[in-house]
Amino acid sequence: MGMTAVEKMLARASGKPAVKPGDVVYPVPDFIMIHDGVVMGAKRELDALGIDRLAAPDKVVMVTDHDVIYGSARAAERGDFNRKAARQWGVEHFFDVGRGGHGHIFPMETGMLLPGMFYFDNDRHATNAGAIGAFGFRVGAEISRVLATGTNWVMVPKSVRLRVRGALRPGVHARDVGFHLATLIGNESLTLDLDYRVLEFAGDIGQFELAARTALCSSPTEMRAYGVFFPPSESVLTLARKRAQRPFTAIYPDVDANYEADLELNVGMLEPQIALPGGVQKAVDISKVAGTPVSHAFIGSCGSGMYEDLVTAASILGGRRIDPGMRLFIAPGSERSTRRMIDDGIMRIFIEAGAVMLPAGCGPCNDAVVGPVHSGEASISTAANNNAGRFGAPDAKLFLGSPATVAASAVAGRIADPRGVSASEAVLRLAQEAA
Amino acid sequence: MSEFDWILKGRCYKLGHDVPHGGGVIPNRYIVARQFDPAELVPHLFEETDPGFHDRCRAGDIIVTGRNFGMGPKMNGYIAMRALGLGLVCESMPFLAYRAAIGEGLRVLTDCPAVGEICESGDELEVDFRNGFFINRTRGISREYPPMPETLMEIVELGGNAGWLKRWWRQQQKTG
Repeated sequence: MGMTAVEKMLARASGKPAVKPGDVVYPVPDFIMIHDGVVMGAKRELDALGIDRLAAPDKVVMVTDHDVIYGSARAAERGDFNRKAARQWGVEHFFDVGRGGHGHIFPMETGMLLPGMFYFDNDRHATNAGAIGAFGFRVGAEISRVLATGTNWVMVPKSVRLRVRGALRPGVHARDVGFHLATLIGNESLTLDLDYRVLEFAGDIGQFELAARTALCSSPTEMRAYGVFFPPSESVLTLARKRAQRPFTAIYPDVDANYEADLELNVGMLEPQIALPGGVQKAVDISKVAGTPVSHAFIGSCGSGMYEDLVTAASILGGRRIDPGMRLFIAPGSERSTRRMIDDGIMRIFIEAGAVMLPAGCGPCNDAVVGPVHSGEASISTAANNNAGRFGAPDAKLFLGSPATVAASAVAGRIADPRGVSASEAVLRLAQEAA
Repeated sequence: MSEFDWILKGRCYKLGHDVPHGGGVIPNRYIVARQFDPAELVPHLFEETDPGFHDRCRAGDIIVTGRNFGMGPKMNGYIAMRALGLGLVCESMPFLAYRAAIGEGLRVLTDCPAVGEICESGDELEVDFRNGFFINRTRGISREYPPMPETLMEIVELGGNAGWLKRWWRQQQKTG
């Protein structure tokens, strides 16, 4: 029996010729990622045990993305603690405030995360690694064991395969596919258990560039997938080679790899989707809710924080202003994107449209540390999820849409179909040049 | 470590399908408060569905559940179960719930299909978590379920992740 790509990555990292689902292995990661929200817990846990050195400080990537601009004294204290921790542990790859951006976006944009890599992460959105053909494994608070010993146990997950059929129509975005997929799973139209599974995309996926693949990693994660995987296309490989900080070898599944389920998803007729408040699995065609008033909007997060997502939003916001009753926050996925938006004029479009620029990172999507919603408000965003209270008052109505839908809605002050708004071709071309 | 009790003999405490961690296993307020002290958690185990459970259960008793037990990567309830000397046998658990239970040093078996159909609360059970042998003495039924992976037994024997790390560090210092 052959192996899936993720099985191959785990086998390589564990020094084994082969692994199969259910095996428990101890893979040695290419790097170890920990974000600003959990450094304190891990440091205190290890300190209490007297563990004062890390197994491989040179592999540790510390990222400040959850609470970037310290909206509270407590956050400032944590930032100070994290900087001291980085010094004591000897962590050189410390992407503090203003240095890197979102830990699940910038490593792909800077060539740190490359096809075929395996890494450990405390955070579940490590699934984004699958966009570039890598595998990030979430261990939560058990990141402390990875830091101390250099590895941790991994039970090889089962894989399921989804063959995409058809091409997205203009104005329909990869995030729409994600919401739709989650909804089909949620209402059991598609019998697919994603709990601790790796979802591998196949079929007509040549249409999805790296940013779209990243967007497609988001909603399955909310449906409890532990990994998502796209076999890297030639276009993704070209991008990775251009940015690579070190050599890499892309990994592909064997033709006789084993999948617990093998399903198809037709996307050719898909409309833009809106996830209704309460979860990504509550999506409807945008026509069902178009016109619903909203006063808060946000573009960014691990699901829609790639440079191309920002360009998509800018192509709609160019030459327009957001509704007077609306506040729109933009959180780029990386400092690289922020700088780039200055050079190519995207930043001017956002500012002139009346948007508020946030530092690269998670934005409001982390526990409302910036730009929260108030009780009774309605919001439309590209956040990772819209579970009650995700970014503010639990009774606020949180809608989700693609970057294009959120931009069109911010202009209208109501949920609006992006296909009814002309997008600037000149701005969209920037995304192609971005590659 | 040889004295660790891998075989539990006790009474069955049966639960249904889809019992969430927050509310179903332990009141949500202890999860939100990040309460990890066993003494604080024990009196509240299954409090919302069965107040006083902690007084009535005995060390060695085995909680038998249906599908999808303990939703969410939360460990508070497992801390209480371990402190009470209980074992856990589930038809299925979300993976993160299973990982959290192991991390707290709980004797646990999962992927035990239809286990709920061969026992009722109060039955005398004997479960060997090393090899997955499940015996219902009251009904004279036995089953063989997937055992705990061998490499994870070490974590459970050492009382969970914290205990495992403590021993690992001691060994590191000895070997220099």
